[in-house]
Amino acid sequence: MAYVKIGLIGKLDMLKFKNITKVRENEIQASPATPLPKVLTTNEKAKKHHPAKQDVVIADIRQNGADAKTIVFKTPDGSRLALYRAGQYVSVSVPIGDTVTTRSYSLCSSPELAKKGEYHITVKRDDAGFVSPYIQDNWKVGQAVTISGPQGHLYYEPLRDAKKVIALAGGSGITPFMGMAYAIRDGHEDFDLTIIFGSRTAEGIVYKKELDEVCAACDKVHVVHVLSDEEKEGYEHGFITAELIKKYAGEGEYSIFMCGPQAMYNFLDGEIAKLGLRRKFVRREMFGAIKDPWNQPGYPAEAKGKKFKLKVIKYGEEFEVEALADEPLLVAIERAGISAPSRCRSGECGWCRSKLVSGKVFIPEKTDGRRAADVDYNYVHPCASFPLSDIVIEVSGSNI
Amino acid sequence: MPKFDCVVIGAGNGGLAAACKMALEGKKTLLIEKHNLPGGCASSFRRGRFEFETALHELCEWGTEENPANCRKFVVDDYGVKLKGHIVPENFRVITTASDGKTPIDATLPCGVEAFTDAMEKYVPGCRKSIEDFFEIGQECLDAGNYSLSVNGNTDNKYMMEHFPNFLRVGSYPVNKVFKALKMPPLAQDIMNTYWGYLAVDADRLSYLQYSNMVNLYVRYGAWIPDKTSHELTTGMVERFREMGGTVWFNCTAEKILFGDDKAVSGVVTDRGTIETRHVICNANPSMVYATMVPEEVIPERMIKLANARKYSARMFVVYLGLDKSAEELGLKDYSIFMPETADSAKEYESGKRMETNLNMVSVCYNTVNPDFSPEGTCVISLTTTYMDDDWANVEEDDYVETKNRLAKRMIERFEQKLGVEITPYIEEIEVATPWTMCNFVNVPQGAAYGYELDGWDSMMARMRMMGSEYEVKGLRFVGAASIRGDGYNSAIFSGNTMAKMTLGDMRREEEA
Repeated sequence: MAYVKIGLIGKLDMLKFKNITKVRENEIQASPATPLPKVLTTNEKAKKHHPAKQDVVIADIRQNGADAKTIVFKTPDGSRLALYRAGQYVSVSVPIGDTVTTRSYSLCSSPELAKKGEYHITVKRDDAGFVSPYIQDNWKVGQAVTISGPQGHLYYEPLRDAKKVIALAGGSGITPFMGMAYAIRDGHEDFDLTIIFGSRTAEGIVYKKELDEVCAACDKVHVVHVLSDEEKEGYEHGFITAELIKKYAGEGEYSIFMCGPQAMYNFLDGEIAKLGLRRKFVRREMFGAIKDPWNQPGYPAEAKGKKFKLKVIKYGEEFEVEALADEPLLVAIERAGISAPSRCRSGECGWCRSKLVSGKVFIPEKTDGRRAADVDYNYVHPCASFPLSDIVIEVSGSNI
Repeated sequence: MPKFDCVVIGAGNGGLAAACKMALEGKKTLLIEKHNLPGGCASSFRRGRFEFETALHELCEWGTEENPANCRKFVVDDYGVKLKGHIVPENFRVITTASDGKTPIDATLPCGVEAFTDAMEKYVPGCRKSIEDFFEIGQECLDAGNYSLSVNGNTDNKYMMEHFPNFLRVGSYPVNKVFKALKMPPLAQDIMNTYWGYLAVDADRLSYLQYSNMVNLYVRYGAWIPDKTSHELTTGMVERFREMGGTVWFNCTAEKILFGDDKAVSGVVTDRGTIETRHVICNANPSMVYATMVPEEVIPERMIKLANARKYSARMFVVYLGLDKSAEELGLKDYSIFMPETADSAKEYESGKRMETNLNMVSVCYNTVNPDFSPEGTCVISLTTTYMDDDWANVEEDDYVETKNRLAKRMIERFEQKLGVEITPYIEEIEVATPWTMCNFVNVPQGAAYGYELDGWDSMMARMRMMGSEYEVKGLRFVGAASIRGDGYNSAIFSGNTMAKMTLGDMRREEEA
């Protein structure tokens, strides 16, 4: 049998053992009763860098191209906004009537401006949309707006990406790359950025002047304009194809970053497949909410156009509302005036994660960003879940 | 105002266990969590086609259906959580330099007492007797702990001396002292010390009992991981809690704890309204709670002194890597590899205080144990280090990304160099979590996910023996890493179950009175 002897006489060890509590009590009593710190530096710095929400005012609204407006946000007192990695977005809270919804917009200004309390976003008008016409027609200089902290993962990561980045932008999808271009110019990032930018016509190009300026100021940023509806000297014509990417990528390794409308992604998927790139070299901004679930693989055709009952449980309260099969559950919840959390609205970030208590939903595969165990336990992201039956869902939180 | 028998603040492992236990005993329980998902550190996140495990290397004190250890007994047998998982066949591999500053160490230790002892004898011929003694005494210590639990800490001295003499003899000493007394060769001590980082106190100060318990639980019961990350474990607990009648509020932050004239808990103010309750079980750090959520006049001076006497423990830094090559293709066979700069834990602890000197790290390759952890042709590796001081308070926001990337790069390169395996070209996804990230997601002080340092005087045994006087604010108890047993999933779960039991005892006494 094992026998261990540490002190000179084993019995003293036992006394010492019984003394454990006395030793501890002595340590406690010898300690000062000074008030505990209410603020910890590390925690405060972390909170400033990753704020849950930020309060800003609209300092300026600038027309940008034919149908886009750039909104300049500033802090009321000139204090800093959270620094971000160029390409990230903020989720913006938009109250419209009884509804409070959110939209995510890429930060298109230089991170350098964040230090002075300034962020820019660009809102392109989509007349069929709910939010962009409202913002364009109603937002005024001086108005207070609540936004999230910086979010998202479309940014240059030197430990992962090729040193040369080919950015494929469609329309207002230029915004994250504007941020990147400024970040390179201002020394926040260090990589070669070639933006292949698809617009309809030369006249409709958003940020034309700014892009020219940043290219002139910084030899690491290049822009190639591709016009789909116009042939013009000095511009490429048509769509962004594999051939065109190869032409401007040149020799050596490169990463592709994409940002644009869903139709552009659908087209580019085919083109990029031709390039035979490893998956790590192809990154895209989020898909946005899918507008045509009935065209997605696995959709039960009979659900299209139907209306269902939706019961929302929130902190013990219950709301009975209506949900359309053709819209994400989040939209039905917001339309009923119920504040619910959301950020990316693309199924990816998981901020709206909610318990599906009963009922069936359709979740398009390409916007199913759920954790594996959430699939097993019936948690869904309402921003990317379409009802297929009457639904009971438990949501928690509010919109920013 | 909604009224509950008990409010649990925070859905970390400790809070989840406490909530489940209260619900199991039929108490009307509300679990509130400031984040939108459970687990605290014990979670997961998605990037691209990968889902990353946030924290877990392997669960201790789990065992098997036939031979369950305490943690499994609580979660699976008592709470009824259904889990799939994988047994981790090896305890660890350690690659380092011995305390003598010269001898290279590269040792792989399997689970199971015999296999472990044989392997130790192979690496350090002549150490067998000391390792056998270590395990024999280790079993005695586990038995003593179980006896103490079975009598709720009211141990009988005579019984203890008769049955657990070695336990009493080693009980007040640090690891290195007892290893020496066991006549363990220095090189064997170096290897046996490997797990110190999991408790984040060097072996000159770390309580032998606490360390022996951990190593014995790992070696005797094996280690285990859930199939679908910690999120499977913690969401599974939430679901059972709901099924047992519990209420969960996510995205709900506790702001203040309310007290009645009797200085006992009377409610909780949250950003979703005020809740009436007489019992709060709190998964947040006591120092922060006392400083910001409880009125000064209800906190006994001794509690403030205790908080002031303590230091925060390890602050986490993790590099998460999703690679587009399989573990097999890369030639990675080991699950967890400890790679301190030196096996001298006191030296390593010291250099762990600063970014520039902290080279300590543990790697985990999940696919070696769970081949389906990530899509075919890929694998996931995490590289973890801990900071022994608050060096991240010195980082400015402008330098944050550059700082964390520089340190991540250094860890990746050290991994490559130590294993002779190239991984950098295959990084498809990378995320770097720093102490700031821990502050952000779980609001632990200084990013210290391990609670308070388990310094000799404040080790598990001392905390547990003083359990009765540990929390003097009436109706308020604490669970999690900052509670009675320190860090680790099993310890957090144990603390949750134990504090729930004590709260149930309070409730019984109230009813009787």
